[in-house]
Amino acid sequence: MADLKYELDPSPEVGALDDLPGPPAGKASPSGGDSAEGPDTGLLDRAHALLAEHPVADGYSGLPWALRHLPWFDLELGESAVDTDVPRMREGHVAALFWALHLPEGLAGDQAVGATLDQLDLVKTVVRAHPEGLRLACTPGPITDVQHCGRIAVLPGPAGADAIGDSLGILRSLHGLGLRSLTLSGVSWASEAGLTRFGEEVLREMNRLGVLADLSGASEDTVRRACAVSKAPVLCARSAARALRPHPANLPDELLAELGAVGGLCMVPLTAEQTGPSVRDVADHLDHVREVAGPESVGLSGTYDAGTAHPQDLADASCYPHLVAELLRRGWSETGIALLTWGNVQRVLREADFTAREAQRRREPSTMKISELDG
Amino acid sequence: MTSASWEAARELLREFPVVDGHNDLPWALREQVRYDLDARDIATHQGAHLHTDLPRLREGGVGAQYWSVYVRSDYAGDKAVSATLEQIDCVRQLLARYPADLRPALTAADMQAARAEGRIASLIGAEGGHSIADSLATLRSLYVLGVRYLTLTHNDNIAWADSATDEPGVGGLSAFGREVVREMNREGMLVDLSHVAATTMRDALDATSAPVIFSHSSSRAVCDHPRNIPDDVLERLPGNGGVAMVTFVPKFVLQVAVDWTAEADANMRAHGFHHLDTTAEAMKVHRAFEESNPRPVATVSTVADHLDHMREVAGIDHLGIGGDYDGTAFTPDGLNDVSGYPNLIAELLDRGWSKPDLAKLTWQNAVRVLGAAEDVARELRATRGPSNATIEELDG
Repeated sequence: MADLKYELDPSPEVGALDDLPGPPAGKASPSGGDSAEGPDTGLLDRAHALLAEHPVADGYSGLPWALRHLPWFDLELGESAVDTDVPRMREGHVAALFWALHLPEGLAGDQAVGATLDQLDLVKTVVRAHPEGLRLACTPGPITDVQHCGRIAVLPGPAGADAIGDSLGILRSLHGLGLRSLTLSGVSWASEAGLTRFGEEVLREMNRLGVLADLSGASEDTVRRACAVSKAPVLCARSAARALRPHPANLPDELLAELGAVGGLCMVPLTAEQTGPSVRDVADHLDHVREVAGPESVGLSGTYDAGTAHPQDLADASCYPHLVAELLRRGWSETGIALLTWGNVQRVLREADFTAREAQRRREPSTMKISELDG
Repeated sequence: MTSASWEAARELLREFPVVDGHNDLPWALREQVRYDLDARDIATHQGAHLHTDLPRLREGGVGAQYWSVYVRSDYAGDKAVSATLEQIDCVRQLLARYPADLRPALTAADMQAARAEGRIASLIGAEGGHSIADSLATLRSLYVLGVRYLTLTHNDNIAWADSATDEPGVGGLSAFGREVVREMNREGMLVDLSHVAATTMRDALDATSAPVIFSHSSSRAVCDHPRNIPDDVLERLPGNGGVAMVTFVPKFVLQVAVDWTAEADANMRAHGFHHLDTTAEAMKVHRAFEESNPRPVATVSTVADHLDHMREVAGIDHLGIGGDYDGTAFTPDGLNDVSGYPNLIAELLDRGWSKPDLAKLTWQNAVRVLGAAEDVARELRATRGPSNATIEELDG
C-alpha cells in the first residue's frame, strides 16, 4: 500500500528549510593545481573543490548501534563520542550515507526481527532530531533531492539477513519501514553453500521492492549466484581487494571482475584491517578495484563507528579530502573520482528503482515459504 | 423486524456506514491458505470459508474496517513481532490488490475521504501487547506501518498488563504498562481495552490522556463474561471520550451460550486441543459436541439488548460496533457474516433509536475517537520526545 509509505518521512519536505550550507571556508580553489603553499595543499584544495561538486555517498556507517549506548548526543553541533557528526560530514563532503542496522552476534537469531525494528526506530528518531543536517531517504530512487536541499541523506541499511526472520512478509514490512539494503549472509538460505531456492526468492523479492543486495561477507557461491539472479545491481558495502590484503570480506579478482561485469558496486572500506594502515594503502585498493572491476564499479565505504581501526589521516568522516587528494596525485581523472564518490552509488540506486518499478508491474508479491522451497 | 425498517437501515448505512472495530480476516487467511490470496479471492463470494468478502462488506454497509493483525497470545518475543509483521504485510497485500474497494486509512480524515469516495477505509489494529515484545521502539515501528490501535493484551497476561481471561498478575498495568499507554498517546495509537482485565481497564483510563476504545466488547451487566465491560468502566467513557464497540460473539453476549461454551471448551481440552483451535480436526471435535448439545443461539436482539444497556450507562456518544468476524467460529442469527449489520440497525430502529443516534453508533463516534487521539498526539509530540524506557528499568 503505497499510501502508508508516505508516513515514513516526517522530516521537513524538500523545499522546506532550504538554508544551504556555504562552501567550506577558504578551501575552494576552482583553478586547482599547484599553489604557492606547495603541491600537497594544492591537491587538497582541488580535492575539496571536486568533492563540493561530487560529494561522498558512504556505503556503510555503524552509527545507529554506536548511538544506542550514548545517554545523550548532538550530531548537529558535533559529537566527540563517535566518528561521525554533521560538522565533520560537512567538512568531509559526505552528502549521503547508509546507516547499517547490523546487530551484534548475541542479538541475532530469535531477537533479530524485534531488534531491527528498534534500530529502524532509532534511525528515524535521530534523523528527526537533526532536521537541519540529516534527512531520511526511505523511498526508492536517487537521493539528489536531499542533496539539493543541503541535507545529508540517510539510507537505512544494510540489515543482517536474519532481520527478515526467513519470511518475505517481514522483508516487505521492513521495506515499508524504510529498509534499503540487506546483507545476504549468515542464514540458512544464504550460507557458505550459496543461495538456496528460498534465498533466490528473497533476492527476487528484494529486486521487486528495490532493496539492494549487500554481498560483503557472503560466500563466493552466494556472490556468484546473486550476480546471476539479481535483476538490479548488487553491491558489496565493505569489501576491498583480496589480492592486496587477505581478509574474508575482501573480494578475489575473479569476483571483482564478475561484479564489474554485472554492473555491481564494490565499496572499499576505510579500515586498517581490510585495506591497510595508510591513505596510500586505501588508494592501492581503489586502484586495484577500479582496474579489475571497472571505474563504474568502485565506491567508498567509510565504515566509521563500526568498531574498527582506520588508516592514518582517515580517522573520521571529515577525512575524505585526504583520500581524494591522494587519488589526484595518482592521476585519477575528475570523472573517475566523481564516479567513485557519488556517481556510481546514484547509478545503482537509480537502476534498483527502475528494476523495482518494472518488476512490480509484472510480478505479484511472493508468498513463497522457506519450508516450501528449501524443504 | 419489518422489511420497511430493513430498508430504512440500508438507507441510513448508505449515509453513515459501519466502522467495524475488529475483523480477523488476516488471521483466517494465514491459517487457511498461508496468505495465498488467489486461493481466497475476496472480490468473489467466500461464504464457504470466510465471514468476510468485499461483496458482503458492501451488502452490510461497512464503510471502515479495522483489520486485526492478531497473533496468537502464546507467541512471545521475536515470534510475536515476526508474525505481526507478516499479518501487516497481508493487510497491505489486500489493499494493493483491491484498490477500488479498500482505501488505506491512517487518520480520521482518511476515513472521511474513503466514505466520500465510496470505498471502505482500511485501518489496522494489533491485538495484544505481546506484538511489541516489551519495546516502545517496536511499538513506534508498528505505528509507522499503519497500526492505529493496540489491544493491550489478548487472552493471556503479558509482563506489563493483565488479561480478562487469565489469573491476576501485575494487578492491572505495571509501571511499564503505563509508559506504553503514554507512548501510544504520544504516537496517536488508540489504546484498545477489549480483552484486558477490569483492573487493566481502570489503570489504563487513569494513565491515558487520549480517548480509549473497546474494539470488540459488550456489557458485563447484561451477560456476565470477563470479556465484557463492567458498568463502572462504561460510566467513565463520557469523561474519557472513548468508544465501546459492541461485539456479537455469542459466547460473550448470551448467558446460556457462556455456560455452554465452558462445557464445550472443557470437551476440547479433554480431546487434546486448544479451545480456540480452528483446524479441521479440532472443528470436528467441536461439531460432535455440538450435535449432542445443541448450541444456544444468540440473535440480533441479544446484541441490541447490550446496546440498550450500554447506551443507558455510557451514553449514545460512546458506542460503536466491533463484530469480530472471522475471529470467532459462531455468530448470532441474523448477524451471520459481515452482510448482517443492517439487521442490527433495523432492530434498533424498531426499538425507537433515532437516525442521528444510529449515525453516531455506526460512523461518527468511531471517527471522532481516532481524530481525538491524533489531536492529543500532536500536542504531546510538541512537548516530549519518544520514550526509550525499558521494562527492566520500570518494572525491575
